[in-house]
Amino acid sequence: MNFNLLFALALATPVALLLACLWRPARERMLSLLVLAPLPALAVALVALLDADAMPALMLDPGRQIGLSLDQPGAILLGVAALLWSAAGAYAATYLRGKPHGGRFAIFWLLTLTGSLGVFVAADLLSFYLTFALVSLAAWGLVAHDDTPGARRAGVIYLLLAVVGEVLLLLAFVLLDVASPGASLAIDTVVATLPESPWLAATLALLIAGFGLKAGLAPLHVWLPVAHPAAPMPASAVLSGVIVKAGIIGLIRFLPWDAGLDWWGAALTGIGLVTAFYAVAMGIVQSNPKTVLAYSTASQMGLVAAILGMGLAVGDREAVTAGTVYAAHHLLAKGALFLAVGVFAATARRRLWPVLVPAAILALGFAGLPPTGGFLAKLAAKPVLGSGLVGLLASLAAAGSTLLMIHFLYRAAASASPDPGARAAAGLVWPWWLLFLAALLLPWTLAPLAGLSPWSVMTDRSLLWSGLWPILAGGVLALALQRWGARLPRVPEGDLLALFTGSPRWANAVGEMLERTETWLRQWPVAGLSLLILTLVLWLPMLTRP
Amino acid sequence: MLSNLVAGGDRLLVLALILPVASLMLAFVLGGRHAERIALATLPIGLAVAVAIAAAVLHGDAPLHTDLGGWAPPLGVALRADGLSAIMLLTTAVVMVAVGLFARADFQVPPGTTESRAPFAFWTLLLALWAALNAVFLGEDLFNLYVALELLTFAAIPLVCLDGRAQTLAAALRYLVFALLGSVLYLLGAALLYGAYGTLDIGQLAARIGGDPLEPAALIAAALMTAGLLAKTALFPVHLWLPPAHAGAPAAASALLSALAVKASFFLILRIWFDVMPELLAQMAAQVLAALGAAAILFGGVLALRQARLKMLIAYSTIAQIGYLFLIFPLVASPETAPLAELRNAPGAWTGGALQLVSHACAKAAMFMAAGLIAASLGHDRIRDLGGIGRALPMTLFAFGIAGMSLMGLPPSGGFMAKWLLLLAAMQCGQWWWMLVILAGGLLTGAYLYRVLATALSTQGPSPVLVKPVDRSREWVVLGLALISVLLGLVPLSSFSLIQIGRDVSGIGVGLP
Repeated sequence: MNFNLLFALALATPVALLLACLWRPARERMLSLLVLAPLPALAVALVALLDADAMPALMLDPGRQIGLSLDQPGAILLGVAALLWSAAGAYAATYLRGKPHGGRFAIFWLLTLTGSLGVFVAADLLSFYLTFALVSLAAWGLVAHDDTPGARRAGVIYLLLAVVGEVLLLLAFVLLDVASPGASLAIDTVVATLPESPWLAATLALLIAGFGLKAGLAPLHVWLPVAHPAAPMPASAVLSGVIVKAGIIGLIRFLPWDAGLDWWGAALTGIGLVTAFYAVAMGIVQSNPKTVLAYSTASQMGLVAAILGMGLAVGDREAVTAGTVYAAHHLLAKGALFLAVGVFAATARRRLWPVLVPAAILALGFAGLPPTGGFLAKLAAKPVLGSGLVGLLASLAAAGSTLLMIHFLYRAAASASPDPGARAAAGLVWPWWLLFLAALLLPWTLAPLAGLSPWSVMTDRSLLWSGLWPILAGGVLALALQRWGARLPRVPEGDLLALFTGSPRWANAVGEMLERTETWLRQWPVAGLSLLILTLVLWLPMLTRP
Repeated sequence: MLSNLVAGGDRLLVLALILPVASLMLAFVLGGRHAERIALATLPIGLAVAVAIAAAVLHGDAPLHTDLGGWAPPLGVALRADGLSAIMLLTTAVVMVAVGLFARADFQVPPGTTESRAPFAFWTLLLALWAALNAVFLGEDLFNLYVALELLTFAAIPLVCLDGRAQTLAAALRYLVFALLGSVLYLLGAALLYGAYGTLDIGQLAARIGGDPLEPAALIAAALMTAGLLAKTALFPVHLWLPPAHAGAPAAASALLSALAVKASFFLILRIWFDVMPELLAQMAAQVLAALGAAAILFGGVLALRQARLKMLIAYSTIAQIGYLFLIFPLVASPETAPLAELRNAPGAWTGGALQLVSHACAKAAMFMAAGLIAASLGHDRIRDLGGIGRALPMTLFAFGIAGMSLMGLPPSGGFMAKWLLLLAAMQCGQWWWMLVILAGGLLTGAYLYRVLATALSTQGPSPVLVKPVDRSREWVVLGLALISVLLGLVPLSSFSLIQIGRDVSGIGVGLP
């Protein structure tokens, strides 16, 4: 088959399923088709990764270079994202069976899916903005799906911050376009001229803030621990697994990697490391296992940002590869763990071990447990982070991750079903096992990209030790948390959000003042007078003409 | 065939003017059921004429021009259609067709009677409004434009009070008084210009004003005419008549008023500042107009957020959206270009403004009609009690939602392209503060739409009781119009060249690649 045709199908398939939703019988059965929607995208990514010369490109407007294209980081993330979307889709079909509003869920799912796959392949500013907006805004329907007061609140907070992110990015894209001399809107072209832009600082700040918000970098991570736990289980998996990666691919696509912006790189690394530690500190005092996972996502994305920041500082594109591999592993493993939370809740306590052991392997994979995929991801990042202060801090963050994930395992085990006969449905179990194996093994297939050979890595004792000591340190910390954790203060989900509860009163006062102004303006004498004043105001400046 | 069109273009202009007038006369004479039939038959012909004019302008790559009866100005009256006029004619025709199809169910003569007041009034007023709008978009003579504006006003006002309730009569009266105040100011300005320059033809006036040192009378005239037209456009702070009038009118009439009627006087403000007055003067007025526009965006947005009724919310949203139109003045008239701007060929603020005109017209008409369907089937339009409408009227709500998407400026809608071009233009001429206003307005729009959509999509509580089933074909009409406002954003940028034809806009980046 023509590769470009397959490439078009990758986005056309979810769109076609969406259109089918206009027909009521199709809409009611759509949940069971969700597993199929991302498969063409998965095929595209596989073909592109196996044959690096075959990167597809579809140009809709060649003059302005508006269209879709694929590159290596895009293909890696597209592939693992499609895999998670497909597995989570299968999980959703079982998870939501017999519950109301399945059709509406499927519509928002497909909309989010289209945008989520689209950000990995969009080649120009407008397509990227379109797909980014789609994935951001449509995910609201997933967050608020349960329509409980909690889910509605989470939906409002999610939407508010998502729209703020959109605004920041729109400004950044306008600055990029205005600073670029050609008519082309291709991302590579406008980013290539960014270092000479008169608005370089403003553009970078807007880009890092906009994409950082989506990726969950502190202090704009606050929506993540509110929104991810509120959604139904499979939706949490894609929110925390894939949707935050829209921010990562944004940073990868839009930062000028060859410019060597040392201050900006240092700033991004700093933000990333602060996030990595801060999210662990906030996560260990949470009791909902999904909230703990959401904080872990923020912490892990902090590490990806630190990796990218190190590369940005010295103009090193290796950091992009390392960041991509790290993000790809996180995508699969975090998706799998969210699905596992649903399996835990449906399984009796005495049958928990077959779920708990693989979950523990994945969870410690975030800290780099050999020989998981997470170990490989850490190794790929090692040369970029270096052996200095940043490298040490990253290892300490891994210890923090261990602590956080052991806390998660405790909380997840505590959420097991009280019914002694409970057994999770097969439709929940197999997608979780599939993702478990994918998260464990697939990152190793990316090892050659990062210049690593699996065999030599696994036989190098010093490397193994460098992967193991943070986990041992984290284990000791976890014991301490078990012993004294009860003394720690509780922090509400979304930590810093608690500071902003006073704002509606202020907004209300402004609204009331404007309403009074309106009543005043609508009185006849006032209206007549304003017309008169308007005439004068238009006339007077003209008298001062040169 | 297309070259024939261009050759016969002048006759097309006359036809665009005569067709609605002739239908109006015929409807008056025949009356009764025939009024509806004549209006409905006029719709496709009018649309065809508008399409033909747009095709002729695009193909000929030049404005169409004709002197009525072969008499050249200043003795005779000229008609002219450049790219923007052609687009406005086309938009008018599209909205008219949609509203006409939508209104059939509301304004039918009941069986058994030969004629009833509201249907007869509606269909004749629709034709009169169309005639007035076409006259405004084609006119070249300031006095004829005045006549067209008056016709517009007198067609629009009865539309507000078609149902004859005391409340809508009061709203219509308010509209009447304020619109007449505006007319007086406009006429005063026109008279001053005539006294100073001895002509009212726009082309001749521009030549005479540009050639001589500026007469003080021209300054006063420009200020008076603009203020008068602002009153009719309902720009903040002289918008007092708009919310009760647009929210009180029947849905089909609200759609016409909000989508088209206010655009006519805006169109004339554009013509005064860019076709009659010298460029330098435009730069001075531009900042004032845009500042008012910015105030309208923020003020209208906040008030829309605080309305309890859906139609009031949409009416205040119109006030905010009108504000965006006025932002194009400083951007088109800007003397500055950013250091890199001359290197690129982007369609600038002019295209963005025109796109905003068109996409707002389609989106706002769709929203008012969707609100009408909701109000008719629920028996009320209280936003708080809209829960469950998403299940009861999914298609109507979908149409409302995507029209709102265009209003908010989400991609890939026409509203997004408009705002993107305005943002680029603002940055290019170094007036970044307008960007903040545009974005803040988008946030406010998002907020008030969220209020409606989140309530409507809520699954809590009982399903709403529909007092009247909704007609599927009317839902399709609303959806079609909403889709047009979205699809405008998918049209490749380079095909917007129509908007630029016949315009030597001094601002940035006019030419296209």
